[in-house]
Amino acid sequence: MSNPKAAFSLLGKIYEAYHKDAGKMLIHTGVISWMLSSAAQIAGIIMNDKIPKEQKMFLIPQEFADACFNILSFYVVTRSCTAMVDKMIISGKWLPSNVKNHLIKNGFKDRIGKFEFNILKETKLTGRPKRSFELFQNGMGVIASTLGSIFSCNIITPLSRNMYASRRQQENIAKMNNPNPALLNPQNNRDRARAVIHNTYMQAFMNRGNLKV
Amino acid sequence: MSNLSVKPFTTYGKRVAKWVFNTLPSMELKNGRVLNAVKWAGQHISSPQNRVILGATALMSQPFIDLHNRNVDDETRKVSAARTVAKILAGTTTGFFVRYYAIKAVDFFTLKPDKTIRTVKSLLFPRGVNTTIKGMQQYKLALGTFISLGVMMFTNFAIDAPLTKVLTNMFVKKIKEHERKKVDNSIMTNPIPTVSNDKEKPKNNTYIHRPSMDSFISRKEAK
Repeated sequence: MSNPKAAFSLLGKIYEAYHKDAGKMLIHTGVISWMLSSAAQIAGIIMNDKIPKEQKMFLIPQEFADACFNILSFYVVTRSCTAMVDKMIISGKWLPSNVKNHLIKNGFKDRIGKFEFNILKETKLTGRPKRSFELFQNGMGVIASTLGSIFSCNIITPLSRNMYASRRQQENIAKMNNPNPALLNPQNNRDRARAVIHNTYMQAFMNRGNLKV
Repeated sequence: MSNLSVKPFTTYGKRVAKWVFNTLPSMELKNGRVLNAVKWAGQHISSPQNRVILGATALMSQPFIDLHNRNVDDETRKVSAARTVAKILAGTTTGFFVRYYAIKAVDFFTLKPDKTIRTVKSLLFPRGVNTTIKGMQQYKLALGTFISLGVMMFTNFAIDAPLTKVLTNMFVKKIKEHERKKVDNSIMTNPIPTVSNDKEKPKNNTYIHRPSMDSFISRKEAK
């Protein structure tokens, strides 16, 4: 830390932590915001009296799965997508023509596009080519992350969450129609505890819950 | 046995990845329009705009995925699609405004202070650190996201969820009304047909006269 005073300042700490890369913070806050949003939506479904319980048995797991699959697909798809595009640009596989010509002139012709090549470390871009490279890298990063998010959040997540929620709905309806005798008449402490959890869980689907808007 | 470790596999994996990467074709962008579009995206698309793009594409895909979910009954499918549309509309609207105003607020309050006087406009300027222009850009983005997260903790429960509920109920009501009208119209345009004496049900609600087998036999006997 350049100045000890910064230790006492929250804003200074935030600057020190994220002034080089705000991306890691975006990921952490994104995960938290998905979880919060999902919790709010689940509360909204539980408190909606106009939705029948059979449909709540689908919608609640759907909302829960929505947050989980969003986080998972974001890490697997979106981050891989952005990392791959970044590697393509930094190694020189994808470049604007003026930057490529500049690198060829400076003797990097055989190195451009190779896996080990790193434009930022090995070449000293200055002036117009540097500005051009930075703008291209930034723009491609935004496009990659947007396309990756569209694919992961709008295609992979809805398909996966529906599959999960449908299965949960069928299981819950089966449980409701054929309740476990051990839970109806618990004989030991383990069954009593399971019965309490089960009843609380099933209460979430009932329209006559205590939670009212 | 000691030679059998994970290391050779990872090095082989790296070699394969390297080989695949090196064989991929290179791309040199010469088209000025494409380059300008890429630059424009980098300069103009930030967190709020990203939220709008995601919301718009979500509206184009998610309700249709819900409507084609064959693992649930017809009613659940419709309620699910209605709720998805409601959630996207509510989430995108509040998400855009929260992010947009959070970034605006951070921009407004991070003016570099004078050496002696600190004004309200420099309220969120980091203290005790050496700042750079690029570092400040990242800091503003980070702080803006922090602030929007704090605001969204409140808006998720206070605006998003209730608005989704209201919109879902509204859409479900509309769908039901639309279905009721559809049924009424089909009854009006295709009235229940009168059953003929020949005990044969008419097809497509149109009456086609076909002589019964009895009358055919009796005519044959008369001949």
